[in-house]
Amino acid sequence: MTGLREVIVKADMLRDGLAPDFRDQMVENLYLEADRISSRAVKQAGDAKWDLDQRVDRLVTSPLFGLPLMVLLMTAVFWLTIVGANIPSQMLATALFWVEARGADLFQSFGSPWWLTGFLWNGVWRGLAWVISVMLPPMAIFFPVFTILEDLGYLPRVAFNMDWLFRRAGAHGKQALSMAMGFGCNAAGVIATRVIDSPRERLIAILTNNFVPCNGRFPTLIMLATIFVAAQFPPLFASIAAAGAVAGIVLLGIGFTLVVSAVLSRTLLQGEASAFTLELPPYRRPSVLRILYTSLIDRTLFVLWRAMLTAAPAGAVIWILANIHVSGASLARHIADFFQPFGYLLGLDGVILLAYVIAIPANEIVVPTMLMMYLGAGSMSEMESFDEIRKVLVDQNGWTLLTAVNLMLFSLLHNPCATTILTIWKETRSGKWTAIGALMPLAIAFGVTFLVAQVVRLW
Amino acid sequence: MLLWIAGTVGLAAAAAFALRKPWVRQRGRNRRADLEDVLKHIFTRRHEGREASMESVAGHLRISPRRAIRLCTELESQGMAESDSGTLRLTPKGEDWAREVVRAHRLWETYLANEARMSMRDVHGPAEREEHRLVADRQVEALDARLGHPRSDPHGDPIPRIAGDAVLSPARCLTGWPLGTPAEVVHVEDEPEALFEQILKGGLAPGTVVTPIESSADRIILSEGSRVFELSRLAAGSVQVRAVSAEYAQRSQWVRLSDLNTGEQGEVMLLDPALRGFTRRRLLDLGLTGRAKVEAALGNAFGDPKAYRVRGTTIALRNDQASRVWVKRSA
Repeated sequence: MTGLREVIVKADMLRDGLAPDFRDQMVENLYLEADRISSRAVKQAGDAKWDLDQRVDRLVTSPLFGLPLMVLLMTAVFWLTIVGANIPSQMLATALFWVEARGADLFQSFGSPWWLTGFLWNGVWRGLAWVISVMLPPMAIFFPVFTILEDLGYLPRVAFNMDWLFRRAGAHGKQALSMAMGFGCNAAGVIATRVIDSPRERLIAILTNNFVPCNGRFPTLIMLATIFVAAQFPPLFASIAAAGAVAGIVLLGIGFTLVVSAVLSRTLLQGEASAFTLELPPYRRPSVLRILYTSLIDRTLFVLWRAMLTAAPAGAVIWILANIHVSGASLARHIADFFQPFGYLLGLDGVILLAYVIAIPANEIVVPTMLMMYLGAGSMSEMESFDEIRKVLVDQNGWTLLTAVNLMLFSLLHNPCATTILTIWKETRSGKWTAIGALMPLAIAFGVTFLVAQVVRLW
Repeated sequence: MLLWIAGTVGLAAAAAFALRKPWVRQRGRNRRADLEDVLKHIFTRRHEGREASMESVAGHLRISPRRAIRLCTELESQGMAESDSGTLRLTPKGEDWAREVVRAHRLWETYLANEARMSMRDVHGPAEREEHRLVADRQVEALDARLGHPRSDPHGDPIPRIAGDAVLSPARCLTGWPLGTPAEVVHVEDEPEALFEQILKGGLAPGTVVTPIESSADRIILSEGSRVFELSRLAAGSVQVRAVSAEYAQRSQWVRLSDLNTGEQGEVMLLDPALRGFTRRRLLDLGLTGRAKVEAALGNAFGDPKAYRVRGTTIALRNDQASRVWVKRSA
């Protein structure tokens, strides 16, 4: 032992002989050497590109144009995604449901029992079909467009413009990027937090990413906004009102992100903002092949694959719950009745809560599951038009404006989907933070909808 | 309804389990932690040139005298401490253990302040708990290596070593420092809390450079750059300072990077000593080393952050860090 002790003492003594800033010196010398080499090897004549970049930079970060330009671009991306995805979504749905019908027919012609046909085709297959047709087209549009902005070099400028907000919340400006990514998919947003290099701020970004609604939740929000908000306005303004309601929900989500970030950085994740360094790379012409590869293979297919892995079992569970009958009603009905009092407290109802429990794997199937329950059908269902949905919800099942508003709030705030939870686990490798990431939004969703319901009813 | 209550309770229990504190392990450790606190008390007392006794142990740990006696007896029976006519002393074995605990405490404070960038106000409490875990899990040396073998903690206290403390340059109390001469803060005392709070409000931490400009019977007026603030004489008594380094003394001819106007160029002269740990490494990695050429490239509509051009890349920095980088304006 004395030998070891002597070595430690010797090491400490030697360390004392070093200059206190020897690390700075090392870095400085490395850079000096690199400078020396590059000045010998590289010739640079003028810097016209940099002058142009600087002019563009001044424009996109200017007080007058910076923020409006950003809002305009974001709106354009959403509009492109929603409008562009509409038709392919329907085509995909038609095709996949056609396959379902043929598959079921085929099974029946082989004489397979009804429950096997139902389970496989109306359960598992329909769950998959739904998730693919709702999720794939918007993602296949959103991610490439988003990647173009990324490749151009515009996104770091957004972080640059928005940092002042995040600084106040004790978070990192690059959180704006992971949030923007979250609009596409929260799981992808959680992965995108890797660009934040300090662990504390990264964790804040991971835990709050869920508050930006993803592609899987937008259809629900749009449907509700159209049926309930737009219906309050004359037809001329209806679509504007619906768009305004969705935009309002998005802004509310951003507000929640900032508030929760601020609370986290003052409680669970205390600390001052650490080194904020953000590289503003030169503007580049996007390379098409790379964009297609990163956006379609790395992002779209990756997310879709994970969603399918969770959606197939969810489809199976839904079918089982809807088709096993105990004392005169399906299991799903029993569970919905059981949730009813709690749902009422939150201004929702039992069916909605049941749909959300089943839809933990993927938010896309919330509406089909709700409709299945309301219609008393044995598998996930869709309606021809918003008018019909409105009839079912309002006239037959007693929905009010409160139900719609609270459902929008719940959809915005509730726990992330299974794919995202899994991704949080993969990124943090911590059961504790995964649990917080899942339960904190759920608690907030319960709290907010409960408060809204009570306040409205008191009135 | 009953089912509902059961379900809620079950969920709450599951959540509590997921976020559980390791109570069971804690209980076994409490006793060990108490022993370590006694050792630490004797150790630090001696380093302050004072003696420890049963009474001082009871007073410091806020425990009953009987419990203090029990703990000290146990330490004696383990061969860690000896009592000699009321004075407690550490045996070589006890000294090693105590040093390890104090090391763990100060290293953890350093980690929280420099790497996790927690406020100095908040680092003591967690370190008081974490020190016992670090010692029990034998992670003190790994932490020391990870932090790059720091010589002092965020308060400016030396981190004890087998070889004896690193020799820190001699310091004087801020109250006696000549007016008009810049001084670098090297140590702030975190007790009593009220005074520590005043010091933190003034933004004083080891590495900050201040100049006393006026002094009266009960307070001192200080300046840090363009910022002028006052400190009670009592609080100033808890602050130790030393003369600034020769290069730092030229600072008056330099400006802060954040003060460069858009389009202006300069040369990096010095990173403020207050930039430590993670933040300092990050800035160095980006090429903000001595003699690097910089240009203020882009202002911000909201004032913060601003972008600078360093070594052919444009990098945005927040003002609180850019203001810690000193540059010489190029003509």
